[in-house]
Amino acid sequence: MSSATTTAEAYRTQLRMNRMGLWLFFVSEVFLFGGLLATRFYLWGNTRPELDQSIGLIVTSVLLLSSLSMNLSEKGLEHNNRRLFLGGLVFTFVFGLVFLVGVMVFEWGLFPAFYEGHLTPGENVYGAVVFAMTGMHALHVITGLAFIAIVWNLGRKGSYSPERHWGVESCAIYWHFVDVVWIFFYPALYLIGHVAH
Amino acid sequence: MRQSSTDKRHFITVSVLVLIGTAVMFWLLDSALPMPIQASIQAQTVDQVFQWTLIAIAFLFSLVVVFMLYTVIVFRRRRGDTGEGEHFEGNTALEIIWTVVPLLLVVLFGYIGVTTLTDITKAQENEVVVQVEGFQWSWLFTYPTDSGEFTSTELVLPVDQPARMEMSSRDVNHSFWIVEMRVKQDVLPGQTTVLRFTPTIEGDYKLRCAELCGLSHWNMLASVRIVSPEEYDAWLAQQSSQAAAITTASN
Amino acid sequence: MSLMSLGIVRGFVWQIAGTIIGIVFAVAMRLMMGMSPWATEPVWVVAILFGSMGFLIGVGSMTDWFKWMVGIDTPMRHGPPKGKPAWTRYFGVDYNHKVIGIQYTITAIFMLAVGGAFAIIFRTELARSGLQFLNPGQYNTFIGMHGWAAIFAIFIGIGGMANYLVPLMIGAEDMAFPRLNAFAFWINIPAIVWLLASLYHGWDAGWTLYPLLSTRGEPGFQFVFLSVFLLGFSSILGSLNLIATMLMMRPKGMSLFRMPIFCWGVMGASIIQLTATQFIAQSFLMLSFERTLGMPFFNPDGGGSPLLFQHLFWFYSHPAVYVWVLPGLGVISEILPVFARKPLFGYRWIALSSIAIALVGFLVWGHHMFTSGYANSLRAPFMLATLLVAVPTGVKFFSWLGTLWGGKLTFPTPMLFALGAISVFLLGGLSGPPLALVGSDLFLHDSYFVIGHFHATIFGGFVFPFLAALYFWYPKVTGRMYNETLGKLHFWIMTPAFWMMSVGQMSVGVMGMRRRIADYDPMLGGMTSSGLSAVEIGQTVVTISAFLIAFSILLMIYNLLNSAEVGALAGNNPWRSRSPEWQIPSPAPEHSYATPIRVVGEPYDYGLPGSTYVTMATAGDD
Ligand code: HEA
Ligand code: HEA
Ligand code: CUA
Ligand SMILES: [Cu+2]
Repeated sequence: MSSATTTAEAYRTQLRMNRMGLWLFFVSEVFLFGGLLATRFYLWGNTRPELDQSIGLIVTSVLLLSSLSMNLSEKGLEHNNRRLFLGGLVFTFVFGLVFLVGVMVFEWGLFPAFYEGHLTPGENVYGAVVFAMTGMHALHVITGLAFIAIVWNLGRKGSYSPERHWGVESCAIYWHFVDVVWIFFYPALYLIGHVAH
Repeated sequence: MRQSSTDKRHFITVSVLVLIGTAVMFWLLDSALPMPIQASIQAQTVDQVFQWTLIAIAFLFSLVVVFMLYTVIVFRRRRGDTGEGEHFEGNTALEIIWTVVPLLLVVLFGYIGVTTLTDITKAQENEVVVQVEGFQWSWLFTYPTDSGEFTSTELVLPVDQPARMEMSSRDVNHSFWIVEMRVKQDVLPGQTTVLRFTPTIEGDYKLRCAELCGLSHWNMLASVRIVSPEEYDAWLAQQSSQAAAITTASN
Repeated sequence: MSLMSLGIVRGFVWQIAGTIIGIVFAVAMRLMMGMSPWATEPVWVVAILFGSMGFLIGVGSMTDWFKWMVGIDTPMRHGPPKGKPAWTRYFGVDYNHKVIGIQYTITAIFMLAVGGAFAIIFRTELARSGLQFLNPGQYNTFIGMHGWAAIFAIFIGIGGMANYLVPLMIGAEDMAFPRLNAFAFWINIPAIVWLLASLYHGWDAGWTLYPLLSTRGEPGFQFVFLSVFLLGFSSILGSLNLIATMLMMRPKGMSLFRMPIFCWGVMGASIIQLTATQFIAQSFLMLSFERTLGMPFFNPDGGGSPLLFQHLFWFYSHPAVYVWVLPGLGVISEILPVFARKPLFGYRWIALSSIAIALVGFLVWGHHMFTSGYANSLRAPFMLATLLVAVPTGVKFFSWLGTLWGGKLTFPTPMLFALGAISVFLLGGLSGPPLALVGSDLFLHDSYFVIGHFHATIFGGFVFPFLAALYFWYPKVTGRMYNETLGKLHFWIMTPAFWMMSVGQMSVGVMGMRRRIADYDPMLGGMTSSGLSAVEIGQTVVTISAFLIAFSILLMIYNLLNSAEVGALAGNNPWRSRSPEWQIPSPAPEHSYATPIRVVGEPYDYGLPGSTYVTMATAGDD
């Protein structure tokens, strides 16, 4: 993070280091999600559970939209367009929230009075793996949402400038990363294999 | 006067010492690692592989350690000497040699490993098939016979006839191991695993569970008897008639 | 000065508070969901999570981040605490990598003693057949505790060496992310607390924690799962930091191939830690969920597979064994040239062999599962890949011989330990191929031969080099010399004792002694004329050796503590090393290098007149 006293040179060095750190973190995370995918293919092979295809399609599209709004927001800041910047963040947050609610309420059936889920975590491997994969991903979405909220708050207070906004940049990259993970998870959960449950 | 470190005499001495070291090391290892008796055909193969690796270990071990001790003695700093060591930074040819030669050794051992593996796991004709069930903390053996099947808590097998264990577990992982037969195989819940061996010596042995399976894992044993074919047939007949008697009685 | 001003005390208080809040929260949740209020395991899981969080907040490891979140700037670097005695900084959050390195190292020695103490207890039980003073349940818990406590010691010890040395060696002021560094250290403390707490309920599946044994039985398992999860988290963050530091913070002129060789060992280890650790974190989480929520990942009754766990576990835990040794082998490569007064033979080959070992290490996990029941066709490729690791490891050994050859060797304690490490690691490494060949592994698997194999690799690759490093860098850390006589005594007790222990273990293993059993058949290996059976003689030898090792380590602890006060002043560079950390005063000053350093030569050009490795720029010099 920047401090008013750091020189531009020091800031650039720090920025390069921060980027390296973030990408190394993603390398590590790839193994986490890779492990989940490996588990899915080991246990399910060429089968999959019956999931609600329309819910899957909707939440996936919403998540893709959120990546778009995140990108717009970052562009906004770079061009010193504060409305676009903050608005983009708000949209991203809302899309993320919709995704989360979609997964939790419809896929998990968290409020059975409202909507019965298809699976429970304990019934068999299908439930277990669906909950493990979507759960781990949801955890990342939640941290992403918290991150967005913090950045929005700091942005509102004017902490970022077009030149210095590592906080925004890292938040955006993180959010895109979480999206990309879902691009791999979605087919693994909803599309590959024949329905066996 | 010290000899230069590339003097031929160093290498001749070390080579001789390495050879002596190999012999001594092999003898030491061989006596420190006393194999139990070989009671199956597979045991002979396994022990053969083990002997070969022991030779390789003895050689490689003394190669490195003798060289090291030699430098410790010959190249130690003499009293009053304050100079530095000889200056050389490496030698690509040497590095390639000691990459390629171990690589060849690895290929050789890989070959030995693969052939012996197929050797000890291959299916054979006229196998005695026993269903083995492991559970916390004992074993149960099921023998199929013409008149149905019977179970036994001891494993009885005819000598010199290939045996096939078809194993599964009722609860957690176990592992089937008779030391004198050498080979072992885990026993899992929800899956059947197979182990083959051909006993060659009659006598009493012990089957021991080799995979930690809880409180009494240490005591998960079963007695094993390897008997002559005649004795085996007699035992089979006796057990199956007993089993038949029990079934009729309970009906 | 009040006790609460010590970070660690605050941490513990918060940990207790967090645990209590967690219990209350879990009970309240259960009541709200209409369940019975108390269930030991689920309640403890929540309590452990809350308690760990409590510690990390209480100790102050996240304070700066919280400030950033609300837009408060914090100074990039903090100096020593003001108005408090100097020693207090070791008991609280401090961002200086040297402080963190020492914190790691002390914690590692503590864990080594904990792990060793468990070994001493159960070794005493094993000296004779029959059950003496442990019951099988206690025995099983103790071996698992021994395994994990010792493995904690390794990871934390590596963290200690790497944190202290890497920034110094590359002339950096600190690590790339000092806060993350402190955070990564402090995660270990709650992890240790939970590991030790697991003793209360007990757990009996060994360090490998295979289901279905670990998914039933004592709640102690949960403590271990989450404890290891925390440790893994620390590994990932620590290695991320180290890689970033080495890639981004080298001074002018230090290309990767001019780094001190220890850094290459750390690089290889960090690559593994950064990536593979996710697998153990995940597999232990899955175990935890299978226990609390009944998610049947591994239970065949629900369609799961016990083999899946073994795959996930070993995909991490095999590469992890190379994490344990690569930094240690780096220490050996670092020490040999200094005491041979010669260049390191084949620097590039040694450097690249670390990376080669790390990468090939990813392909061999199946060798722990030769008897597990996976397809026969997989056995051969795993066998071949396993044997392949011998090649880059051999390159290291032969290059070390090249380094010694023609040198002018002296033998102070660090050099003795480095040479001892070579002999011990060689024994361990060479006992690998009989295990790698499926044929002989079907015999040796889960026997004490394996125990002998891995104690030799661990001692040769980690314990001996770690001790060598302690002695070698002791003058740099404290400014004083350890007692050379006691150091040599330590070596001459420990090395023969270790040899007896390891060969003894292999010996009883071949006789048929199984792992993880509290009592064994005294007739294994047959009777001897002495009235003891062969296996009992072997076991007694192992036990006696264990006591000797423990005694010699106590000797070292005494030596290191005592010499910090009475040792002779060491001066800047008692070993006449070329490495940058020896060109600055001992103990190393707060900000290590007064001015940026510049690399102008090769690191190990001993005996080349007029060559230098680093120059310290003076003010005004560009
Ligand atoms: C520090 C840790 C460490 C290291 C470095 C190693 C190194 C090796 N290990 Fe080990 N191993 C463990 C720690 C380690 N291991 C542990 C903890 C277990 C048990 C886990 C458990 O179940 O609890 C285990 C178990 C284990 C098994 C499973 C045994 C079983 O349970 O059935 C196998 C099987 O292949 C194996 C093989 C090897 C091999 C081939 C190497 C190789 O890397 C060794 C390479 C080195 C050399 C070979 C010596 C030097 C080389 C030369 C001089 C060149 C020439 C040599 C040749 C051509 C052969 N190890
Ligand atoms: C770093 C790793 C490490 C280290 C250092 C050791 C050290 C020792 N180990 Fe350990 N061992 C393992 C890792 C390690 N081990 C692992 C992973 C297992 C597998 C567990 C499993 O199967 O699940 C194992 C299993 C294992 C077994 C097999 C148990 C079984 O399967 O039934 C045995 C048996 O002999 C054994 C013995 C010893 C001994 C005698 C030492 C000795 O060297 C110990 C010497 C003592 C010390 C190093 C401590 C010295 C100090 C003190 C005692 C004083 C304390 C006081 C103060 C506070 C100052 N170990
Ligand atoms: Cu069954 Cu151990
Ligand atoms: Cu391994």
